[in-house]
Amino acid sequence: MNEFVEQFLLEARELIEQATGDLLALEQRANDPDKIDSAFRAFHTLKGAAGIVEFEPMARALHAVEGVLSGFRSKARPISPAIIDECLACLDQVTRWLDDMAATGELPSGADPVADAIVQRFSTSDSDASTLPVGDWLERLSAGNPGRFSEARSALRYVPHADAFFRGEDPLALIEGLRGLISIDLTLPDPAQPFDAVNPFTCAVEIIALINEDAETVKRLLSEVSDQIEVHAIDAKPQAVSDLVLSPLARSVLEAQILLLREPGPNGRAARAASAGLVSINVLHHAGLASAANSIAGALNDADATSVITAIERALQRKTDNVSSERSETARTASPAAARVLRVDTARIDTLVNLTGELTVVKNALGHLAKQAQDGLDAKGVTASLRNLQTQLDRLVGEIQGAILRIRVLPMRQMFQRFPRPVREISASVSKSIQFVIEGDDTEADTAIVESLFEPLLHVLRNAIDHGIEDSAQRMASGKPSTATIVLRAFRELDNVIVEVEDDGGGVDVDRVREVAAARGLVAADTLAGMTEADVIDLIFASGFSTAREVTDLSGRGVGMDAVRTAVGRLGGRVSIASRPKIGTVIRLTLPFTVMMTHVMTVEAAGQVFGLPLDVIVETAMIPRNLIVPIGAAAAFTWRDRTVPLVSLAASLGLSSYIADVGQARVVVTSTGGQLGAIEVERLGGRMDVMLKPMDGLLGGMKGVAGTTLLGDGRVLIVLDVQELFN
Amino acid sequence: MTVKLIDNDSIELVGSCPSEDAEALFQYLLQSRNATVDWSGCKRAHTAVIQVLLAFRCQLKGPPAGSFLELHIEPALRRAGAQIRPFPAGPEVRNS
Repeated sequence: MNEFVEQFLLEARELIEQATGDLLALEQRANDPDKIDSAFRAFHTLKGAAGIVEFEPMARALHAVEGVLSGFRSKARPISPAIIDECLACLDQVTRWLDDMAATGELPSGADPVADAIVQRFSTSDSDASTLPVGDWLERLSAGNPGRFSEARSALRYVPHADAFFRGEDPLALIEGLRGLISIDLTLPDPAQPFDAVNPFTCAVEIIALINEDAETVKRLLSEVSDQIEVHAIDAKPQAVSDLVLSPLARSVLEAQILLLREPGPNGRAARAASAGLVSINVLHHAGLASAANSIAGALNDADATSVITAIERALQRKTDNVSSERSETARTASPAAARVLRVDTARIDTLVNLTGELTVVKNALGHLAKQAQDGLDAKGVTASLRNLQTQLDRLVGEIQGAILRIRVLPMRQMFQRFPRPVREISASVSKSIQFVIEGDDTEADTAIVESLFEPLLHVLRNAIDHGIEDSAQRMASGKPSTATIVLRAFRELDNVIVEVEDDGGGVDVDRVREVAAARGLVAADTLAGMTEADVIDLIFASGFSTAREVTDLSGRGVGMDAVRTAVGRLGGRVSIASRPKIGTVIRLTLPFTVMMTHVMTVEAAGQVFGLPLDVIVETAMIPRNLIVPIGAAAAFTWRDRTVPLVSLAASLGLSSYIADVGQARVVVTSTGGQLGAIEVERLGGRMDVMLKPMDGLLGGMKGVAGTTLLGDGRVLIVLDVQELFN
Repeated sequence: MTVKLIDNDSIELVGSCPSEDAEALFQYLLQSRNATVDWSGCKRAHTAVIQVLLAFRCQLKGPPAGSFLELHIEPALRRAGAQIRPFPAGPEVRNS
């Protein structure tokens, strides 16, 4: 993909987010001038960006919206939810185009009719708020040009701003640029004006013109002065459908091929057919018309010029509906692998550059030391210098690691700002009125986390709206405001990033959860009876659980919350829930600040070294063997008045244990998902900070392993996924 | 300059006339209102210049060199000339 387009996609998505946010804010507080300005700027910049990559239909569509927003700005038209919806729909379309571009690396084909439809929608809502006074100009035009009206497809009236000359505009030059110009009339507004009062610096001229070009095209070509023009369509002649899908250039290339093939002369007719056919195939592929291209390829196989001509002619007369369905298919089959680009603050890069410089100094010092050693420096001196250098290197590597990790850090805002839109739609679809509050969106987290939290959080929000929030009658009855509040917040807590979704709904109905869990057989009835309230509430994360009485669009299919737990777990995080009846629910996602750096403790089992993530380790202990009680095939012991299951690391990994029958067992007590468990190991090692490499390729599906890293002596350290050891 | 005062009776527009020419043309025309504007060498003219020609309803000597001027602007000025009021000063406005 071309660099330009890459940059464009990046910027455009940001601008869409901004514009969406502003539009939604406008819906809340209509006439907030800052938001109007900000939305206007976003659309304007987006339009400019589309112009730079020469994506004309997108620029045209956005221009139409910009016109509406400028109407808001000048208070010429009121802001209504319907118009905001239209604007958002336009942004959705733009997003679809961007996805297309990201997939194919090219400008989406077939965007023209779509853009036309958008422009059409905005222009119809425009006409009732036209700022130009409608005069008798059409009559004047027809009186001045008898008989020429029939040639024209549109009539234009253009009243430039009085300061047009000062702005460096040349209105007639714009008109000159129109194709199909039939005639122009120039009028000064006030013929009775005294002659000396004519000011050569003020533009006072009114331009009216007849043009043999459809009104939409004229509007498009004059889009930069759209507030000063009025265009009337005159007897819109239906345009050939294929015009819409084949660019004029493509059409003319295809037509030229037909001419070439029709040229008389026996020499090389077959060769001509072949080359003309190939050209046509390429043109049609370019236009995204694969099946038309295939039919020409078929004709080529017959090696008959006439059938090639027929195939090209047929391609020229294709119907749009076939085309659009064909196109959407190609779009769908195209690889969705969008370019992953990270935007980094220059200051962070500068830090890295400085650190690299310092690293070079240490490297040179090492060279110097090596030379000194060669020249016979005594071992003591070498050792002292080496120690010194090692300390420096240690500090530098630490700093570089930190700096690189900070590069991968993004503010949550990037993900959070995508939520208001779906929340608005979801709440509308279940007719609940919701105030959505975002807090702490400048909290930073690793890119991988920020990027992969969107889906799980959307599930959580969806659940909160669908199940958490009561309907307004119920809310009123329990003395709550009818508008519910959902807060999405993020904050740092030590090494973790916490993301919470808090609603002020009815809380989790514990009895109902019990009922459903029993009915679905998620837990045995007697276990269920012994479970605490918190444990029961936690069951909503069990797979196959759904309390919704009916399956709605949104949730209630029994997937969702367990998917959330899985997704968050994959990122090395945990999900917990706190709920109080009639007050509300908080779902808390606890995530590591970075997924790259992991603190591990090394342990040995069966003579091999393994890593255990430090954040699941509660403590290490020596347990006398006589306190370990076998339970069925497993074992357990009592630790601080709690029963803790014990697994042997060697045994659970299928390795033969070398444990001598010593009186005490070395155990690591862990806590995962609120459950305690102990792992028996042979030896405890030290603490390490490692860059974990996830398992990929053939080992990608391996259970129980979180990733690997290299030890100082070159051995591979396997870091275990403790939760899976206990499953 | 692309606008030249040849003598009291004739002004010449040549080449591509920018908006600045409007002021000069305006001054010349204020001085000699019956002057003929010869724009046969004029290829392009800024709207400001055309506006002055329109306001003064000048006697034009052409056709202009530029095709847009010839095909569209000259006919427009001709049509507008029939509509615009006679000049407020001077006994004879047009040498027709």
